[in-house]
Amino acid sequence: MVQMTVFTGERSMAGYRLNKLSASLIDPANRANFLADEPAYCRRFDLTDAETKLVKNRDWTGMVEAGGNVYVFLKIAATVGSNLLEVGAEMRGETLTQFMATRPPQKRSK
Amino acid sequence: MGQIVGGIGVSHAPSLARAYDEGKGEDPVWRDIFKSYEPAAEWLKALEPDALVVVYNDHVNQFFFDAYPTFALGVANTFAQADEGWGKRPLPDLQGDSDLGWHIARSLVADEFDPTICQEMVVDHGVYSILPFLMPPPWETPIVPLAVNVIQHPLPTAQRCFNIGAAIGRAVTSFRDARIVIIATGGMSHQLHGTDFGHLAPDWDNEFLDLLESEPEALCELNHLDYMQRGGAESVEVIMWLVMRGAMGSRVRNIHRAYFAPMLTGYGLVCFESA
Repeated sequence: MVQMTVFTGERSMAGYRLNKLSASLIDPANRANFLADEPAYCRRFDLTDAETKLVKNRDWTGMVEAGGNVYVFLKIAATVGSNLLEVGAEMRGETLTQFMATRPPQKRSK
Repeated sequence: MGQIVGGIGVSHAPSLARAYDEGKGEDPVWRDIFKSYEPAAEWLKALEPDALVVVYNDHVNQFFFDAYPTFALGVANTFAQADEGWGKRPLPDLQGDSDLGWHIARSLVADEFDPTICQEMVVDHGVYSILPFLMPPPWETPIVPLAVNVIQHPLPTAQRCFNIGAAIGRAVTSFRDARIVIIATGGMSHQLHGTDFGHLAPDWDNEFLDLLESEPEALCELNHLDYMQRGGAESVEVIMWLVMRGAMGSRVRNIHRAYFAPMLTGYGLVCFESA
């Protein structure tokens, strides 16, 4: 069985504030505001203390549990200079190096 | 009358966009993947399409969950590139074809399909990551984009995707003389969240490609969890390929096929003509 969290309507409701903050980061001005004062930005989107902590800790696993959608919270990762591979490694409980060792390309190149 | 002269199923992925922008065509990991798109691009050019219908999903760049449409049709003469959080890529906006767009809108609604009709729509890597490989910019061929909800459940069924594809096929037939290619992007196997992040299923992906060509009704019968358990949760988006297949009619001839799974996503490619 592949382990997964299905993004149901109920999860989408639970994660609404978090996802709304994340989605807002498609705007460069919003990204600048987020980087300038992250706690204020979280307050602007009415995040709970628990949700604000998930953002602060870049806790991607916790965001999924809280109703965050990976396509959306990736915009937080983009804003803070991270990327999908780093986010994924964290969710697997691995370092990026450990994760990359599981990929076919590493066996063939370099 | 209009005619669907070709159908393409192809994966989209941010990694493809990055590889394209970084010019990875000679990189050992990417060389064969880049080369696999060349026959498709040459075939597409030779078809001389008047417009492309492109079926894809929006990654919460145009639509948010305040109002997330199950199907959304872009009816406009230009579509801007979305900024997904990393900034825009150095690529032009897309040209649209509002004549064909309105015609498809009217035909679909008369046919009892009810897409949200969008006169402004930014388009994200669902289209932009793969289009440069299939059609080098600058882009002169206009597109009609159809966005499908494959993110927030409930999703349309695989059968529904096939059926709306068939309805698009009927819409094209009742349009004026025009050569139309329908492209569906998405998938194949991948999972982007949780402890099984990175799940790949090349055997299933290849079985899907076989069935898509010769037995699409078997794919229409699978439910979303069937797709998600085989290919990973996010791979459910491969149901969008059934929109293309539905538009192609009962039998197709395979022109080109390729498959790679180097990193996070199964990169599949098929080019069909109606048989």
